[in-house]
Amino acid sequence: MKRVVAVIAALSIVGFVIYVMAAGFGSDPHEVPFMMKGKPAPNFIIKRLDKEGQINLADYKGKPVVLNFWATWCVPCKVEQPVLDWAAQTYGDQAVFIGIVFEDTEQNTRSFLQQTGAVYAQVFDPKSTVAVDYAVSGVPETYFINRQGIIVKKYIYPFQSPDQFTEQIKEILE
Amino acid sequence: MIALVLSLVLTQGYAPLRQGQDPLDSVREQRVQAVGKKLRCAVCQGVSIADSPASMARAQLDKVRELVAEGKSDQEIYDYFVERYGEWALMEPKKSGITLGLWLAPVLLLVLGVLLIISSTKKPVAPVVAATEAPADDYLAKVRADLEK
Repeated sequence: MKRVVAVIAALSIVGFVIYVMAAGFGSDPHEVPFMMKGKPAPNFIIKRLDKEGQINLADYKGKPVVLNFWATWCVPCKVEQPVLDWAAQTYGDQAVFIGIVFEDTEQNTRSFLQQTGAVYAQVFDPKSTVAVDYAVSGVPETYFINRQGIIVKKYIYPFQSPDQFTEQIKEILE
Repeated sequence: MIALVLSLVLTQGYAPLRQGQDPLDSVREQRVQAVGKKLRCAVCQGVSIADSPASMARAQLDKVRELVAEGKSDQEIYDYFVERYGEWALMEPKKSGITLGLWLAPVLLLVLGVLLIISSTKKPVAPVVAATEAPADDYLAKVRADLEK
């Protein structure tokens, strides 16, 4: 009887250790968890770079919003730019598109936008306060906010095709 | 695809460095730095926001400064970051749930090993049958008798 109890206890400990190890080591320690899903999108009022004035996110309540964090020094951001431009032209009447410049200088961004042109609104976050509020962990990152002002999802890779973007925006257009 | 990934990795740029906000008075700034040491930089791995030179870390430390200036407690500041980045944001995660399991697992394994060693050393040694005793088996008795001849 004692032997049976000892074996069960030993197997329980080994099982527990395997479970804990699998849970702990099975996750990528470099992956930053996305905790903003389902939470209200933090508001911001910041300066526009594509034209004069400011953007107040609260003004767009009732409309889906696509918020793209990017930078001129970020190569993947440049890769996805044509897709985002296409998306803004295709879905611009159904959703608001805003680009937020992350960890960059105003001068760099202005000269970049002069060369490429701005298809949708671009704002400047000089001290990355908006990025911290949204828990940005790198660029590019695209947040999808629904009509109720709730963050539905974020996409942390560069969009490489219109289909990829269409798949992601579906949920907030419903 | 591989070429695209390689080109993205190899040509990845860096954010221009920038200064953080001006420090608060010495007492509050000490708190900012102490709290910052316990929070992980979002864009670098395994470095606190107080120690990282990354611009994003400066921005996160500025947020800590702002929250300290607003009179928030240390716990409220940790909660602000945990709400956004999960417990990943803490340099030393709370010892609960799976994290507690990870701390306990080596100890449990050690205890199990010690118990196994103890139980194996306590096993009674089988008594050696004296050669002079008469074997119970008839066949063995016959073999022994033949050998003694």
